[in-house]
Amino acid sequence: MNELELEQPEGQRDAETPEVGTKKVEGRDPKTVRLKRAYEAEVENKVASDYSHIVWAYGIIWALFAIYGVLLWRRASAQKADLAALQAKLSKSTPKP
Amino acid sequence: MKHIPYALLAVCAVLFPYCVQRIFLDTPIEAEMGTAQKIFYFHVPLAWICMLFAVVCGVAAGIQLRRRSDRAEAVAIAAGEMTVLAGVGVLITGPIWGDATWGTPWTGDARQVSTALLWLVFVAYLLVRKYGPQGSERLAAALAIFGAIDVPIIYYAVKIWKTTHPQTGVVGSLPQTMWNTLFVCLGAMLSLSIALVWIRAAQARTAMALDEAWVAQDQPAGLQGQLS
Repeated sequence: MNELELEQPEGQRDAETPEVGTKKVEGRDPKTVRLKRAYEAEVENKVASDYSHIVWAYGIIWALFAIYGVLLWRRASAQKADLAALQAKLSKSTPKP
Repeated sequence: MKHIPYALLAVCAVLFPYCVQRIFLDTPIEAEMGTAQKIFYFHVPLAWICMLFAVVCGVAAGIQLRRRSDRAEAVAIAAGEMTVLAGVGVLITGPIWGDATWGTPWTGDARQVSTALLWLVFVAYLLVRKYGPQGSERLAAALAIFGAIDVPIIYYAVKIWKTTHPQTGVVGSLPQTMWNTLFVCLGAMLSLSIALVWIRAAQARTAMALDEAWVAQDQPAGLQGQLS
């Protein structure tokens, strides 16, 4: 038994020893796989968080402009009604020839 | 002339879906900031529109102050409203983007503070215009001019002070695909904002004419002249 093997912890030595009926896959040790899964989870969380931020930002921008558009439309309707009232009042007060 | 704002709205209706397609399908994800950087394509045009209409409002208010022009007054009111609207958009989307990339929505840097100041000045301008007593137009115009002076301060804030915002040259250093997408979004936002300002200015002029007509309606001698 050499010096390197002596320094390895108990669990890691077990992980490197293939179980009965299994074959060791080179370059895909459990530690690397766990690290990759952790990275993938981190990326997934970041992308989900980014999409949430984007939806809020875009939603607020478009809602602001939509609300302003509705306000303009309502103001235009009120002006039309005001103009109609003025015309009605004028037609009443102006004597017909 | 009457159909120009509706033509601009039609252009905007075509451009908006194209913008979304370009942003999410045709433009690569930025390496450092990730997907959250896609807020940039509407945040930056909104900031430019906010500054553009702040200057338009300041100039129109100055003209109105000097020449007593109804047209300039209507443009100033419409541009002031657009500055406040775009300012709200910038001040909300900025912190959302900051939260995703800097880890905090507000760092209190010079550009954020000067943009918030610009927004507050134009809110004050609109409040004075709407609720101020007779003769408050001069104060409102002074506020609009002060707000317009804040625009170069916002632009140069990143050069003068140490800020978390990137330098002004960052837009020029973008890859071609991001640059193209930014300008398609700017086109959509600009056509929308010009159309809304145009419609609002026309409404402001109509309101002035209606007010004068109602007043003249009580004075039969001036009636025909006012309504013609």
